[in-house]
Amino acid sequence: MQATPSRSEEEVLGNEAFDALLWSLSRPGQVRTLPTAGETALISALLDRECAASCDDPLLIPAIMQTGAAVADIAMADHVFLGQSANPARLKGVRLGSDLYPDDGATVIVRGQIGSGRGLTLKGPGVDGALDIQLNGISAEFWQTRKTLIRYPMGFDLFVLDGSKVMGLPRSTNVEVL
Amino acid sequence: MTLSKLTKPWEAMSYGFIDGSAKREMRRKMLKAVAVPGCQMPYASREVPMARGWGTGGLQVSLTLVKPTTRVKVIDQGADDSVNAASIRRFIASVAGTPTTLDTLEADLIQSRHRIPEEIMCEDQILVLQVPNPEPLRGVQPNMSIARQMHADADYGRMWLQLYEQIVRSGRVMQGASYPSLVHGRHVMTPSPIPRWDVPKLHMSRHLTILSAGREKRIFAVPPFTRVEPLVFDDVPYQVEDHAGLTCYRSGAKGFFMNEIPQDDGSSVYEVSDSEWGVKAIRAKDGEDVIQGETWYKDGEMPQ
Repeated sequence: MQATPSRSEEEVLGNEAFDALLWSLSRPGQVRTLPTAGETALISALLDRECAASCDDPLLIPAIMQTGAAVADIAMADHVFLGQSANPARLKGVRLGSDLYPDDGATVIVRGQIGSGRGLTLKGPGVDGALDIQLNGISAEFWQTRKTLIRYPMGFDLFVLDGSKVMGLPRSTNVEVL
Repeated sequence: MTLSKLTKPWEAMSYGFIDGSAKREMRRKMLKAVAVPGCQMPYASREVPMARGWGTGGLQVSLTLVKPTTRVKVIDQGADDSVNAASIRRFIASVAGTPTTLDTLEADLIQSRHRIPEEIMCEDQILVLQVPNPEPLRGVQPNMSIARQMHADADYGRMWLQLYEQIVRSGRVMQGASYPSLVHGRHVMTPSPIPRWDVPKLHMSRHLTILSAGREKRIFAVPPFTRVEPLVFDDVPYQVEDHAGLTCYRSGAKGFFMNEIPQDDGSSVYEVSDSEWGVKAIRAKDGEDVIQGETWYKDGEMPQ
């Protein structure tokens, strides 16, 4: 009987990060904890040579390059790191996929403060009825632009990071600004 | 950046058998599958030491998700002890060092071929269903490129027509397993060949379901609290198998999905299909202290 393979550091990080990402995307508005603060765990779990990432935060570029992913223009990128500035104008360039291949829609990662600030009501798959949450650092205009751009099943999926906390907002979620 | 930073230490085998790049692809596709419930996402489907069509899709999902503390249950048509289920369970345990269980309530991850357990799954559990044919439209449109366009257009007229023709010819919908179901009001998916009995268990459930077809290289998902509605006409209600009145001849369990066992004299006896539920019923009857979870069906009826 062969010995069970041991987990490499990369595997532990990727697996635990993905656990949090999958849970939070399946249940929009609910908060999970990533193994490390910031984008690094997400980058390690999802990105590799097959990806193209766009990054507004220059500090993240080395971590992205390390995975072998290409740093690309926002229109070509499958992962978009908006960093601190959830700039609604940047959203307009994000890839939305097509009705044929909705999976070509990008994954967008922004930073915000979870649990304080603007009130939002979430509805859609993964939400039992409706859920009220609070998010700071993301403008009402951002949510308006998101709503205009997403024509389900086309759209992009959003992760909001606050330190090691993560919240997922898939394209199927209806976000209402209170 | 140096070469040594770009390379990884040598490993005889990756944890969980499949390598890092395969796992990252699975992760990206699983996230997209959750974001668009019921929509089939293409993925590479790597080699695993098992023939395609024997649960390789489900296995790749399980191997991506597991960590050493994930308690794994594998069932095949409801039974934990079939060859397919036992081999998959043993394989996951040997390459990922996970504990295994037969008890639905104890499991963190349930990989299943064609059944959903009778006990209600909770939000910390993930159900992985093996899918032989992910395309619900294949029967009406064999060309998969055109079928994809039909999904894009939400053009399900032929699907409805097929159901209508079955009712005209036979008086009822003849679709037994893999009953086509509308997910989140947008995509029609096959719930994998689970019996009609199990389809309502996916509707607004508390757990996440991931369906993966390894041979066909398609993955799709049903997140928690998502509408899963079997395609039915307003005047012809959805009917599950007529098992509500049957009693298991071994455990005495009544009102669950049964396996029919033909007898020499032409009659049949029935045994409960969810084997561990049957075992629990027998042990409870023998006065043992077993925890029987709440079941989806109560007295053979699914509460609305």
